[in-house]
Amino acid sequence: MEFTDKHVQGLKDLLYKMADDLLIIGHRNSEWTGLGPVLEEDIAFSSMAQDKVGQSLALYEILHQLGESDPDTVAFTRNAPQFHCSQLVELPIGEYDFSLVRHFFFDHAEAIRFDMLATTVVEPLQMVAKKFRGEIKYHTMHADIWMKQLGESEEAKMRIQNTINEVFPYALGMFELSDFEAELQEAGIFDGEFALREKWLNKVVPLLESFGYTVPNAQTIIPEFGGRKGQHTEYLQPLLDEMTEVFAIDPGADW
Amino acid sequence: MNIVSIDPRVNRSQIDENTQEGIANPLEHFQTYEVFEQKKRGTHHIHVGSVHAPSAEMAMIFAKEQYSRRGQCVNLWVVKTADVFATEYEDSDIFDTISDKTYREPEAYKVIDRIQAFKERQKTN
Amino acid sequence: MYGNAYVDPENKIVNSITANEDPIKLAEFESRIAAGDKIEPMDWMPAEYKKQLVRMIEQHAHSEIIGALPEGTWITRAPGFRRKLALMAKVQDEIGHGQLLYSAAETLGKSREAMTNDLITGKSKYSNVFNYPAKTWADSAVIAWLIDAGAIVNQLANSKGSYGPYCRALDRICAEESFHLKYGHDNVVFLATGTPVQRAMVQDALNRWWEPIMHFFGPPDKESIHTATLMRWKVKMGSNDDMRNMFLDMYVPKIWDLGLTLPDPNLHKNEETGRWEYTEPNWEVFKQVINGNGPCNKERLAVRRKAEENGRWVRKALAKPTEKYVIPLS
Repeated sequence: MEFTDKHVQGLKDLLYKMADDLLIIGHRNSEWTGLGPVLEEDIAFSSMAQDKVGQSLALYEILHQLGESDPDTVAFTRNAPQFHCSQLVELPIGEYDFSLVRHFFFDHAEAIRFDMLATTVVEPLQMVAKKFRGEIKYHTMHADIWMKQLGESEEAKMRIQNTINEVFPYALGMFELSDFEAELQEAGIFDGEFALREKWLNKVVPLLESFGYTVPNAQTIIPEFGGRKGQHTEYLQPLLDEMTEVFAIDPGADW
Repeated sequence: MNIVSIDPRVNRSQIDENTQEGIANPLEHFQTYEVFEQKKRGTHHIHVGSVHAPSAEMAMIFAKEQYSRRGQCVNLWVVKTADVFATEYEDSDIFDTISDKTYREPEAYKVIDRIQAFKERQKTN
Repeated sequence: MYGNAYVDPENKIVNSITANEDPIKLAEFESRIAAGDKIEPMDWMPAEYKKQLVRMIEQHAHSEIIGALPEGTWITRAPGFRRKLALMAKVQDEIGHGQLLYSAAETLGKSREAMTNDLITGKSKYSNVFNYPAKTWADSAVIAWLIDAGAIVNQLANSKGSYGPYCRALDRICAEESFHLKYGHDNVVFLATGTPVQRAMVQDALNRWWEPIMHFFGPPDKESIHTATLMRWKVKMGSNDDMRNMFLDMYVPKIWDLGLTLPDPNLHKNEETGRWEYTEPNWEVFKQVINGNGPCNKERLAVRRKAEENGRWVRKALAKPTEKYVIPLS
């Protein structure tokens, strides 16, 4: 199928939101480096943060092939209203339970999204989706084991339960519909946010319940939308200011 | 009085510079598991080190990143250190072998001269 | 990353460090080491050997963990993907090195909890160089190049030491450090050959870090029977001055090659002796800083304490009542 302008716009929108999500969550998770609760876990969490940033780079590179600026420029010179990440990923790292719950919700969504993209007609995206399969598998394995083992302690279970309740509306915000759902589906680029959301719920709800948690009813919760349309929390701009602090000294320089 | 640092993470954490907290209790960092890594199918699992972990699954998750984040690996084993039964170094003499057990060495079996001599005898018959 | 084991002059080794040791076992032990054999955790070893090794390996481990703080501060601000990813990988490696080294020290019978507590109470030391602030991005580049270079000089020497677990940990560490050094050098080169602002940033960083770098290898050794014994036991693999000289020989020409200057007008190589000569660094300052009065000592330990405290509920939640402590094997 020939891509129209609208198809290309839809593809870019998809790539931007994926890349922005991965960059911002990778950046957030890297804030734990050296400060984690167990030495070995510190190493694992930092490694996964690195993976996420690497994945975002691969997606920005596809965008570059499609005519957008180079990855450094795209990532280090935009401001909050131009970012398409979900609000979920820009929230501060909080305490470890927050970061873990976010990691659980986000990584399962990422795994399913990449799984759906393993059959996309967009070849470079298909290649990336397949390439990162193993990495993401480890990420979800890690999240599952943590959620399970913390659930075995009464105190921690309560704490995690509260965090699940808090984070859930933001997690649902990941599936905000784009302006190009129809185009993406008809062109065989991506089956859409609605399908992703369904698969995600079918995965995470039974899983969390098997660990002893309850999950808020997705039908009645109001998702925290806005991120995909450039409407962000108060936390994103300061994050970007920090992230770009050195780059901004001289964006034209070679660092 | 909170620490004022050039590190924005530290400032966000609002840390009291005179804090006395953080002291660890015994075993707070868990027992250890020994880690064995198989580089590729067909080779032996090799011991690479240990991790502190509260369970075997966690040990596995930790070992994957600590020992095989670079380089090849297709399989990992983790075993509680407490379950490894080891010999004593002061008994390492039990592994000494006495040299004259030539009956076990391939080089001690040479028959070419014997065969040659037999062939010579056959010719003259 | 590693700073040489700091031996506090107020805490001298007992006069005859082998006074109470079985002379036959001691002779056997020493001849094995002389033959290049390794000592393993359950081998017989003199008490002083064990004590010095625990202190050295523990300090090394603490240095890696504390070192992650001044470097880690620049992860969130690294300019561009290449630097961001590399710095994330590097600092993560340092934490990993800490893990390997704590494990090696544990084989000698000191628990990780005991070492953690000695660090945050100030009882155990770590490399002094991390008590200084990494003020700018260029500071992180200078640290990644020159402090890692210094660490590698020490680590390569120590990897030929006598204690099995420490040598094995160091082999792994040295392999990863080679990327750190390349990254650091690459970073400094880009800054030094870049815009005037970048050049000024890296020159300024170098000016501020030169004295801590000169302090890195520790005070000049005074010849003593203790040093001789520790070298015979392959615990100490070279004098502080020898290590420092090796470092200067390898890296000062590279620094000058980039058109950067160093704030010591006396620094030069004596072509006759082959040794580098320099203004003796201020060892009083070194002593002050290592004993708690540096710009960042308080901060480093407070941050570690807070991190430990924040993680307590997590560790508690995961703990199983049936756990027993067993010393790691190797």
